Amino acid sequence: MGERRDDGGSLWLPATEVDVHRFVRALMSAYEVVGARERRGRLILERLDDPSDLRLAYPPRVHSPKKFLFPNWEKLFRFRLEGTVRLEAEHAAPPRVLFGLHPCDLHAVRILDDCLFDGQPDSAYRAKREATVLVGVDCEPDDHCFCTSMGTDRVATGFDLFLHRDADRYLVQVGTPRGRGLLDRFAPGLAGRPGEPPLPLQPKRTRKRLVQPVEALASLLEEGYEHPIWNEIGDRCLGCGTCTLLCPSCYCFTVEDRLHLDLAGGERVRVWDSCQFDQFVQLSGGREARANQADRQRHRFFRKYKYLWERYRRTACVGCGRCSRECLAGIDPVEVLNRLLEERGVPGAGPPPGGEYRPDLAELVSAEPLGQGVKRLRLRLPRPVSFDPGTFLTVSVFGLGEAPFTIASAPGDGAHLELAVAARGSLTQTLHRLRPGDVVGVRGPFGTGFPLDEMAGRDVLLVAGGLGMVILRSLLMTLLARRRDFGRVVLLYGARSPGAFLFQDDLRRWRGGGALDVRLAVEEPSAPWCGPRGNVTRLLRRLDLDPGRTVAAVSGPADMYRFTTPLLTGLGIPPERVFLNLERRMKCGLGKCGKCRIDDLCVCEAGPVVRYSRVRDLKEAVER
Amino acid sequence: MKLRAGFFDFTGCEGCQLTVLNLEDEFLDLAGLIDVVEFREVMTGGGGDLDVAFVEGSICGPDQEARLKDIRRRSRLLVALGACADTTGINILVRLQDPEVLHGRVYGPGAPVRARGHPRAVGDVVPVDARVPGCPVDGGEFLRVLQALAVGRTPELPAHPVCVECKLAELPCVFDEGEMCLGPVVRAGCGARCPEGGDRCRGCRGLVDNPRSSSYRRVLEEHGLTEDDMLAEFRLFNLDGGGER
Amino acid sequence: MRIEVRHLTRIEGHAHLVVDEDRGEVTECRLEIVETPRFFEAILLGHHFRDVAPLVSRICGVCSNSHTLVSLAATEAALGVEVSEQTRDLRRLLACGEILQSHLLHLYFMAAPDYLGMDSIFPLDRRRRDLLTRALRMKKIGTDLCRVVGGRPVHPVTPRVGGFSALPEPSELRALRRRLVEVLPDLEATVDLVGGFDFPPLDRSAECLSLAADDGYPLMGDRIVSSAGPGVRVGDYRGLIEEYLVDHATAKFASTPRGPYRVGPLARIANGFAALTPMAARVAGALGLTPDTANPYRIVVARLVEVVHWVEEAILLIDTLLIRGLRPEPPVKAGGGGRAVAAIEAPRGLLLHGYEYDGRGRVVWAECVIPTAQNLASIEADLRAAVPALQGRGRGEITRRLETLVRAYDPCVSCATHLLKVRFTGRGGAP
Repeated sequence: MGERRDDGGSLWLPATEVDVHRFVRALMSAYEVVGARERRGRLILERLDDPSDLRLAYPPRVHSPKKFLFPNWEKLFRFRLEGTVRLEAEHAAPPRVLFGLHPCDLHAVRILDDCLFDGQPDSAYRAKREATVLVGVDCEPDDHCFCTSMGTDRVATGFDLFLHRDADRYLVQVGTPRGRGLLDRFAPGLAGRPGEPPLPLQPKRTRKRLVQPVEALASLLEEGYEHPIWNEIGDRCLGCGTCTLLCPSCYCFTVEDRLHLDLAGGERVRVWDSCQFDQFVQLSGGREARANQADRQRHRFFRKYKYLWERYRRTACVGCGRCSRECLAGIDPVEVLNRLLEERGVPGAGPPPGGEYRPDLAELVSAEPLGQGVKRLRLRLPRPVSFDPGTFLTVSVFGLGEAPFTIASAPGDGAHLELAVAARGSLTQTLHRLRPGDVVGVRGPFGTGFPLDEMAGRDVLLVAGGLGMVILRSLLMTLLARRRDFGRVVLLYGARSPGAFLFQDDLRRWRGGGALDVRLAVEEPSAPWCGPRGNVTRLLRRLDLDPGRTVAAVSGPADMYRFTTPLLTGLGIPPERVFLNLERRMKCGLGKCGKCRIDDLCVCEAGPVVRYSRVRDLKEAVER
Repeated sequence: MKLRAGFFDFTGCEGCQLTVLNLEDEFLDLAGLIDVVEFREVMTGGGGDLDVAFVEGSICGPDQEARLKDIRRRSRLLVALGACADTTGINILVRLQDPEVLHGRVYGPGAPVRARGHPRAVGDVVPVDARVPGCPVDGGEFLRVLQALAVGRTPELPAHPVCVECKLAELPCVFDEGEMCLGPVVRAGCGARCPEGGDRCRGCRGLVDNPRSSSYRRVLEEHGLTEDDMLAEFRLFNLDGGGER
Repeated sequence: MRIEVRHLTRIEGHAHLVVDEDRGEVTECRLEIVETPRFFEAILLGHHFRDVAPLVSRICGVCSNSHTLVSLAATEAALGVEVSEQTRDLRRLLACGEILQSHLLHLYFMAAPDYLGMDSIFPLDRRRRDLLTRALRMKKIGTDLCRVVGGRPVHPVTPRVGGFSALPEPSELRALRRRLVEVLPDLEATVDLVGGFDFPPLDRSAECLSLAADDGYPLMGDRIVSSAGPGVRVGDYRGLIEEYLVDHATAKFASTPRGPYRVGPLARIANGFAALTPMAARVAGALGLTPDTANPYRIVVARLVEVVHWVEEAILLIDTLLIRGLRPEPPVKAGGGGRAVAAIEAPRGLLLHGYEYDGRGRVVWAECVIPTAQNLASIEADLRAAVPALQGRGRGEITRRLETLVRAYDPCVSCATHLLKVRFTGRGGAP
């Protein structure tokens, strides 16, 4: 015996097509049974004459339950005019079974309940609701359905019985005691069968989908009230009302009196109306509100996706697709909403999954050797970027990988920038082999650069060692572009040999220009050099600094910092005003992968330019 | 007090009058509402003043104009009954032919000209108080208009297109069947009789008050119709915007 | 004495009657057809074949179904389209419906008042309500038959080239069948009524033309027969029928080599009496109608006999359709060009339509021969024959008698004046 519980039971009863057929036949002895049936070659939702008329697998092209629960033509009351006026009530609703409703339509009935039982409950609707048995059936979405986006592809309550499909049979789920009672009375054989556990229900697959969840729609529409899309829709719309007439949750109506031909009596009736028709909303004096089609369509969208959602916290559109399926003008709510959603995006949602790892494609404009196996690569970016000097770009050679490179140029037009690349590994060697016109991937700029506003009005001391000059070139060129904002600018640059200096053209120009003080030191004892010899700290000796006015920027190999930085602070420059370039091999550039962390500091985010006072606290920093 | 009513016909097929006579079930009720004092097709006698005159057919030539004006003079209310009276219906299609060719073809060369001038709608000759559109009229609509006049109300025709009636009747859309249909711009009130019968709406009731012409045109273009195709369809009952009233 | 009746009443369409007699000698006698021609031939030119039937339907409201059916037959013959048995039977049923509707409208609304001494049937509302309700009840069967098969009784919707765009429901056909069976008492009462009519005597034999009774009582077919000579195939009708223009009419007149002729119920009885159903034949006998009946006033009786006949036939047709079962048929793809003529027995008589289509399926030529136009010469000859017998009576009575005579033909003037191909001849009443 199947479980018999008042809540309908948690087991589902197996039934064959024949069982269902017999059940319908038995129901027809006591009820008017309505279902999808064929008449004159088309499917309609209508009373069955014979159980074999019923179709249980049908595309959602028929009317919805509102055809019977809130019919197009409904008598409110009758009146007789001879002598005094007499009013007569209408009959009660006939007992009826709507057999074979799709889940979306069952959801729509709940919306009708929300609206029609709100405030003064609609008595005619309530009478029909109570007198009508709802039997649901599984369905296959077609190309216009988008129930999955509205959460209406499955329904858990709101039916007396539900026929789930399982291969060539049905499993009947009992939804209410009334449903159970009908089975007992009209299908006792079926009712007494042992029940089976419920099927695990997979969500349905629909071709159409909203790109954001339904919760996003209310605020989306609020913001989009003035969007030009409403005018576009208004221009396409034929004003035929098909969308609202077929919508299972629309029920707007007008009230009219109909006289009999003998003029002795008549009825007051309500008939379906539509917010899409002319003269739907009338002001006094015969004027019309919402007089153009754009306003009308906007109203429809707002009602379905915003007003009713905000009032009842239930989706008023059930994604049945009737409006777009039947619209001659091709107005499709999913298209409309997706367009608005895609334009706005949703705060915090950001790019599509993986988007932030996807490089843009930049073109190599030129590649010049700087000597010592270093090349200066000039790239043209697809979109202008703004950055502070000291930040870095990651460059991808697809198939080999991605690596970070400090930007060597100043922020100029934003669309071009320069990198200095030393050919060490396979990626950098490949970069060296590139020719103008070749394309590489770029991401960024990432990181924190030099705080120019702190440097403004002060003297700037740049200390570079070897390849560390790259980042300082960017800073230097930025300073030189706004020379008057800064005081004395001194560059101290040490390299192993005279040929190891990078940017020699720039160096020559700077030395001769007079805008800054350039001092170079060469380490190698035997190299031909007539300037200072030794490491860069030697250049600090005869420096006439005003430490109170000076900001220092240091960049070089990691071990250079250990003896350089204390010298600077020893000269009196406050540690907060000494900036170090902490380079690590960044991977993600987004503060996620963990590969560039020093203590709690993430170099790709908080660096590579970090204040010495901060570095001193980083116990893992090599550069302290 | 019963209305004194008369039925008149000019240039037309008398199908609208027959449609009134086809209201067999409502006939006796109708007889309680109106006194038919003039109806040439089924009655001898008439003349005198009328409360309401139903006029079918287009007006061609001075004789018909004079006859119509006389009817207008002696009727309190005048109703244009059917497309020929309302918008000239298909009668106006003669305008597509060269009048010389027309006369010569029909009467032979040099024959005396009998019919003068193009057919005109009743409303173009005399003021009209109400109208029942369609070819033929819809019996139910005729009764509604008559009833409104009987209780002293202005008859109201539906302001929405035939599509509404198709959707209420759960009919497949004609466009889905690969045909063009005038339904989206034609006035409802006929119950979508022609789509119900498997044909397309040919627009015999004339355009709706506020046709969404540019939207409709775009729909037709999207269905691959050329200017000529569109004109050919409209021409049947709505030549030269004769259906716009 | 000159009798002029402008806008004859209780006929379809507009016509004036003018008779001038001097001591029994008729000096002038004509039926002036004043209905405005609507130039259907011209209107049809250039139209695609799928629009031809709906257009020609509008030639006449009372015989819209006949025009539609013969138009489709002509188009199908021209384009080489075959139709199914189902289509043939449905079309016959539709023709049935129209004949019943038209004949009963005529009998009760147009003709009966003359024999009941009334101006119209409306006063019966008070005096003989049962008669009025019977008239309505009977006519409604014809109207509903047209509605169920054609979609709409005036200007049908469902007939199309190759078949029907929608079919009646079996339940609708069954309901109609029931009503056809139940109408028998009404038919009997009508027979009693008509049997009591005092038809004036007038004997004028005339040649009778109709379709042959090859396939039952004349309705559709492609052979025209004459009571006075050899017949022709419909396509060769010009060998037998000649049309001509007269001065006083906007309609054509017609004659055979032998002179004016009759079409319509009396002509069909003359040529197809043997094919009447048993019940119809009995009614004919009871009312004294034979193939030799030559009194035009008695066309009314022939009409009633046809009503009885077609009620029986309609029942048989419905049974055939229900037993076979109705099956939707897909639309036919027709094309190319061609030329053909088809014929049908409309309620008022032999009706022919001929078309020629070009390669794109558009009309380049159209013509039709209308029953009433073919009867006009006969009507005038009958009027001439009737006047002498009315010598000595008052103007009022003579007028009424002559009107009754015209009405007996149930002329459909709207049809007669759509005017198509014309040829001048020096015959008959031509100037």
